[in-house]
Amino acid sequence: MTGGWAAKELTELGLRTLVLEAGRPIVPEQDYVEHKAPWEMPFRGLGDRRAIAARQPTQRNSVSFDELSHVFWTDDVDNPYSTPTDRPFHWFRARQVGGKSIIWSRQVYRWSDLDFEANLRDGIAVDWPIRYAEIARWYDHVERFIGVSGQAEGLAHLPDGPFLPPMDMNCVERHIRQRMQEHFGRERIMTIGRVANLTTQHNGRAPCHYCGPCQRGCITRSYFSSVNATLPAAHATGRLTLRPFSVVRGLLYDAGKNRITGVRIIDAQTKGEREYTAKIVFLCASALESARILLNSRVGNSSDQVGRNIMDHIKWGGGTGDFDGWSDRREIGERPNGIYVPRFRNVSSRHADFIRGYGFQGAAGRSGWGDALRSPGIGPAFKQRLSQLGPWSMSFWGFGEMLPRADNRATIHPTLVDRWGIPSLHIDCRWGENDLAIHRDMNVTAAELLEAAGATNIEHPNGPSTPGGTNHEMGTARMGRDPKTSVLNGWNQSWDVPNLFVTDGAAMTSSGCQNPSLTYMALTARACHHAVDLLKRHEL
Amino acid sequence: MKRRELIQWLTATAGLRGLESLAPHDLLALGRDVHLRAATGRALDAHALQAVTVAAERIIPRTDTPGATDAGVGAFIDKMLAEWHTPDERDRFLAGLPELDVRCRARAGKNFVECAEVDQVAVLTALDNEASAARSGEHWFARLKYLTVYGYCTSEPGMRALGLFPLPWRYDGCAPITTH
Repeated sequence: MTGGWAAKELTELGLRTLVLEAGRPIVPEQDYVEHKAPWEMPFRGLGDRRAIAARQPTQRNSVSFDELSHVFWTDDVDNPYSTPTDRPFHWFRARQVGGKSIIWSRQVYRWSDLDFEANLRDGIAVDWPIRYAEIARWYDHVERFIGVSGQAEGLAHLPDGPFLPPMDMNCVERHIRQRMQEHFGRERIMTIGRVANLTTQHNGRAPCHYCGPCQRGCITRSYFSSVNATLPAAHATGRLTLRPFSVVRGLLYDAGKNRITGVRIIDAQTKGEREYTAKIVFLCASALESARILLNSRVGNSSDQVGRNIMDHIKWGGGTGDFDGWSDRREIGERPNGIYVPRFRNVSSRHADFIRGYGFQGAAGRSGWGDALRSPGIGPAFKQRLSQLGPWSMSFWGFGEMLPRADNRATIHPTLVDRWGIPSLHIDCRWGENDLAIHRDMNVTAAELLEAAGATNIEHPNGPSTPGGTNHEMGTARMGRDPKTSVLNGWNQSWDVPNLFVTDGAAMTSSGCQNPSLTYMALTARACHHAVDLLKRHEL
Repeated sequence: MKRRELIQWLTATAGLRGLESLAPHDLLALGRDVHLRAATGRALDAHALQAVTVAAERIIPRTDTPGATDAGVGAFIDKMLAEWHTPDERDRFLAGLPELDVRCRARAGKNFVECAEVDQVAVLTALDNEASAARSGEHWFARLKYLTVYGYCTSEPGMRALGLFPLPWRYDGCAPITTH
C-alpha cells in the first residue's frame, strides 16, 4: 500500500528508486483469479481445509481470506510470532508485490481535527505533530490518483474529497437512511461507503463490473492497489527497480555519520545475503513488520517507543435486523461496498462512559440458497426454495477507536526466528477499558438505528474481536513533537537518524475510527515530497 | 503393530500375515481402510457412491431444470469426504449411510438404490425429519443434505438454473423480481 506510493512519488520526483519486497512478484494475467467460477475451485470456495489448518491457522481468520485469495496471505509456519497464551493477537500479513493492497477492503475515509487533536484534548499519549490543514491537500492528491467513489455529505469531522459518482444504495438501505434522517437529523447519518473502486473510467483504469470477490485480484484494475496503479506509474518513469524475494534482514547504520547507508536483505529463494545502499530509506513494511525491522536493526529507538502503542480497531459490535416488505425486489450484481454511518459519539456532546467513538459499516440484503443448507424438506418443492430469497435484513458493524497504551507492545522474541533466521516478534496486546466500553455501546446504538427504521428480530454479533483482527494494526513507531516520546517527527522522519522515514501504519499517533489506509497513503506522499525537498537543499 | 502401519504394510506388500492377532473390530476397520486406499483415495465405494447419488437426486430432482445427478453432486460429496472432512466427520457419515439400505430393506425388501422411488422418498423424508429434530451433534443425514445443496448450488448446471451464472456485470440495488 504505502510502498507503492513511496515508489510512485520518489520516482516521479526524479529519484532512482529500489523497491525491496519480501514476497513473490504478481502477474495480474496469471495471479488474479476473481472470475473463477465456484465449480472451477477444488473445494468450491470452502478452501483446502487441511492445508489451511496446517499452514495458515492465523491468516485464515481474516475476513477476506478464501479458497483462492489465501495465496495472498503469508504462511504462518514460515513466519511465526508469539503472544501470551491468554492474549491472542491476529497478525495478518501479506508478502507479495502489492502486499495487502491486493486484499484490503478499500474503504477510505479522511480524518479531521476531531482525530488529530484528540490526544491533546484528552491529555493521553502524545499530541499529533500535524493537523488536518497540513494533510488535506495530500488527501486530495491521493484520492485523485486512486479514484474514490462516494457521496459528499458536508460533515466537518468526515471531510469530503473529489469523489467519483457514488455507488447505489439498495431499496432497504434507502429506506433506513430516510428513517434515520427523520429520527436523528444530522446527528447520525448514513451514507454510501467511500470506496477505492471506480465507478467511471479513471486514469486508464476501467470502472467496476460488480463481480464480487475483489480479494482475488481485479483484471480490469477497477480497485486501487499498488499492482494496479502506483507501481505501474513508478515503472513508467524508468527509474524504478523492483526486487521481489528480498527479505529485509536489517538496516545498515553508519554511526560516524548517523545515517542509514542501506539495507541488508536475504534472498527468499537462495537465502543468500545482499546489501543495497541508498541515500534515503523508506520503511513501508506494515506497522509491525517495520517495527520489527527497526528493533532488529537497533536503530531509531532512543525514545523506547518502537513496538509500543499497538492499536487496531475494535469490532464485532453492532446489530442485524429483518425488514418486512420489498419482497418483489432484489439486488443484481455484487456491490463491493456497503454503507457508512460516520462517528456520532463524542462529536458534539460527551458520552459518560468513554472518550472517542466508532463508525458503522454495513449493508442490507436478502439471503439466498444458503438458507436451504439447513432447512427441512426434500424433492421438487424443496428444490423450488433454492431460488427463493429470504427476507431483507440490515446489519451495522461498528469499528471503534482504540487508545494508544505503551504496554500494548511488540518486542523481539529471544529465540523464535522465521524461515530466514530473522528474529520474530512477541506481541502482547489487549483491549483497554475505554475500547471495551466503545464496543458495548455499538450494540446499544445499532439497536436504536434498527428500531428507528422498523426492524424486527434484532440480533447482536459475538464480539469483541481479537486484537489485530481488523487488520488495522498501527502505532508502533509513532509521530510526535518530542524526540523523547516519539519515534518520528511531523514528516514521518526518524528523530534519531534523519535519512530514515517510516510511512506505514507504524507512524500513527492515535487510531481514529476510520479505516486508516487513506491516511497512510497521504502521509507517505507528503513525506516523499518533504524528503526530496531536503535532498535538494542538501539537508540529508 | 499399529493399524496405520499395518495398512501401509498391506498396501505395500499385499501380504496378509499378521492379521491373526487382530480383534474382529479391528479387522473390520482395517478391511474398510484398505478398501478406501484401493479406491484411489476416495471415501465412498461403488455401492455407497450410488446410494449417495440417488439420495441427492431425490433431494434435488431433475424437473424442468437439472437435478443433483446432472450437477455431479455424488462425485462432489465423495471428494469432500475424502479430502476435506476430518476422519471423525467422515467416519460418522460412513457409519450412518448404511441406514438407507437397512430402512429400505425393512420397508420394501430391497437395498436403497433398488427400491421404488416412492420408498426412497419415504425413507429420506423420515431421515430428514429426524435430522431436523436432532438436538445434539450433527445427524449424518444433515451432512448429506448440506453437501447436496452446497454441491448443487456451486455447480455450473445448478448456478445456471438458479440464475446465478453468468454474472450480470452490473449492480442494481432495487431490481424487480421476474423469473427468479
